[in-house]
Amino acid sequence: MVDLMHELSLAHDMTRIIGNTLGRKVHLERVNITVGPLSGISPESLKFCFTEIARTEGFGEPELVINLTEAKLICLDCNTEYNARDFYEGCPECGSISRRILSGREFTVDSVEIDEGKDRHV
Amino acid sequence: MKGKTDMCDDTVEVDISTPVMDKNDRFAASNRKLFNEKKLYTLNLISSPGAGKTSVLESMARFFGGRMAVIEGDVQTRRDADRIEKAGCQAWQIETGGACHLDAQAVNHALGHMNLSPEELELLAIENVGNLICPSGYDLGEDMRIGLLSIPEGDDKILKYPSLFSSINVLLINKMDLIPYLNFDLDRAIEECRSLSPEVEVFTVSARTGEGMEEFCKFVESSFS
Repeated sequence: MVDLMHELSLAHDMTRIIGNTLGRKVHLERVNITVGPLSGISPESLKFCFTEIARTEGFGEPELVINLTEAKLICLDCNTEYNARDFYEGCPECGSISRRILSGREFTVDSVEIDEGKDRHV
Repeated sequence: MKGKTDMCDDTVEVDISTPVMDKNDRFAASNRKLFNEKKLYTLNLISSPGAGKTSVLESMARFFGGRMAVIEGDVQTRRDADRIEKAGCQAWQIETGGACHLDAQAVNHALGHMNLSPEELELLAIENVGNLICPSGYDLGEDMRIGLLSIPEGDDKILKYPSLFSSINVLLINKMDLIPYLNFDLDRAIEECRSLSPEVEVFTVSARTGEGMEEFCKFVESSFS
């Protein structure tokens, strides 16, 4: 398997994690994930890859719902804590870009939604 | 199953709460254990294609000689490994066959092929696939992550690729011999890098002329000796 985008290998990892947790392959309605702005993940590429991978691996055609979080930062000049998704903007209080990143690398599969009515007929 | 929540009709939500990088992180931990056992200090060198990773490693190979081994990650060809061997170091080529990054499992596999027993060996440098995005999310088990940026790429690249430049320990600015010919604002690049990694160490070098390379190599050496 050639993974031209790393989102393709990540989509495989997601179905592996879901399959392992559920203990079987189930047609999924929805997959809820969290992606931080420093995870290095392109949400659009991941959506594109995931639908294909999920279908070919027997998980139906689930909708991928991405909770895009903001990074948490602390200004090293005035100690203000703030959130950001793009790093061009400085501190909202003093404008400084001297800061420490507290979070923003999240990438988790949070939950899956299964229609049990449909699942019985799979 | 970790938990179920009844939703409308027949739909149930099942809690998964698992980091997607869990498998990579397990391999990274296993690599880290091996590096500790072998007393190998490990570098992960990341840049865009053509920034000069292999040239920097050739220059390092001349400084460290048999004390350093190199893992080369490329989509195709073992050309880079040949260059490193010529410069005086053991090198193992990973051909990813299309993948845009190295993961910890590929490094783990490469380690199985390398001779890590020489008494003098104390440094392992991993040259990642040329890419500023995909490699940034993959811990390989390294001690030091180096982001390499070359002058012709421009001084505005750091904030465009925050996932990488927020995760590095060292910023290595290469091709300094070209700075008289290009509008590259060194202070801007360094300030923006510190805005993502406040403790980052910065070195300016030219792998071609050798400028700054000895200072950088001595810094790497001081990190493990």
